[in-house]
Amino acid sequence: MCDVALGELERAVMAQLWAARGPLTVREVHEGLERELAYTTVMTVLGRLAKKGVVRQERDGKAYRYAAASTREQLTAELMLDALGDVGEDRTAALVAFVDRVGPEEAAALRAALMDGRGAVPAPREGDGATTPES
Amino acid sequence: MASVWLAVLALALAGPVPSALARARWPQRVPRAAIVLWQAIAVAAVLAAVGSALAAPEELLRALGPEDREGTPVIVAVAVAATLAGLIVLRLSGVLVLLAVRTRRRRARHRDMVDLLDHAERSAVLGGSGAKAVLRVLDGAVPFAYCVPGRAPRVVITEAALDTLDADELRAVLAHEQAHLDARHDLVREGFVALHQAFPVLVRSRQARDVVGLLLEMLADDAARHRCSDAAMAGALEAFVAGGDPEVVSRLERVRARRCGGRALATGTYLAAAAVVVVPTVAIVIPWLSVALPAAGVLR
Repeated sequence: MCDVALGELERAVMAQLWAARGPLTVREVHEGLERELAYTTVMTVLGRLAKKGVVRQERDGKAYRYAAASTREQLTAELMLDALGDVGEDRTAALVAFVDRVGPEEAAALRAALMDGRGAVPAPREGDGATTPES
Repeated sequence: MASVWLAVLALALAGPVPSALARARWPQRVPRAAIVLWQAIAVAAVLAAVGSALAAPEELLRALGPEDREGTPVIVAVAVAATLAGLIVLRLSGVLVLLAVRTRRRRARHRDMVDLLDHAERSAVLGGSGAKAVLRVLDGAVPFAYCVPGRAPRVVITEAALDTLDADELRAVLAHEQAHLDARHDLVREGFVALHQAFPVLVRSRQARDVVGLLLEMLADDAARHRCSDAAMAGALEAFVAGGDPEVVSRLERVRARRCGGRALATGTYLAAAAVVVVPTVAIVIPWLSVALPAAGVLR
């Protein structure tokens, strides 16, 4: 499967999970996607997303259910912090090398907003989505 | 005497020379040449330090008569010098490798998330606006534009930035980020980040990293001005300058002033860069080698 199609698929699956009111089974996700796809493909994608830490996997009897580990806004804010963090005082890695941004006040405001209602800023982790707080 | 001269050179290139260059304004008129000069200074400083440490024991041994050569202090001196040289090289290479690995790992993760959070409909529509790299649009109230360099580059922009910029300004921003990606500015920057991590104190490495960072931004600004227009780039910078970041302010002033470095200044700067590396090699290292190698029986 080429990268573009896979990316699109991951986005579609996340859209489902973000819109859902509770954790979904693979079948529910599969049915929700309006396209011709193998059940196993959906399972694979969910597995990949769980490994990346964006999706939480929980056992419900015999089946597994999947839920988004964070909201879209939370993930976007973390992403921007990641990009900003590189341009702060401690440029430890040339992650995203160049950022045109509004300024250090906005960075501080962003950090404050993230930390305010959520305790510590969650660190991205591989395959350990269960520990990422939900918002 | 070579080791002394090289030590003096290393000290000069580690302290006063970078300080003076960082304070100067003329490099902003010829950013590409200035970056090359900075690179030459960094390379020459490291080579001079290592060279001095390697030459010292050899010169010491040659200066002493044969009777004195077996003494313990001499052996200690040689060992210390060799260790110092080795430490410098190992420290820098180690940091370079670790940084490269860590950077690429973080980047891959960041790129994955950017792809996942992209507003595909928005980025598809904008795709033709001049960015050759894959474009991603993120939610967000903060105007933001950046690029993720590497083997699968991305240009990332937030909704807030799209709201703030007009079509020309957007094209300028995308051209600016694309310029970073095309010229692999991230590699240039990575070298200076590594230099600072390896030698954070006693050496003006933080200044070097910061100044080169700013010059790289100005270089990308010039590329965008060339592709779009001065006005478009200025407009784009105005959108981002509200935060008062002094770097963005100086970039905006520079674009508005339409200062252009002359050919002469650029050529002179390139020559200076070459001189920084070549002159010490010709004036100090080669004469030393021409005495040291025969003395060691390597050459006749």
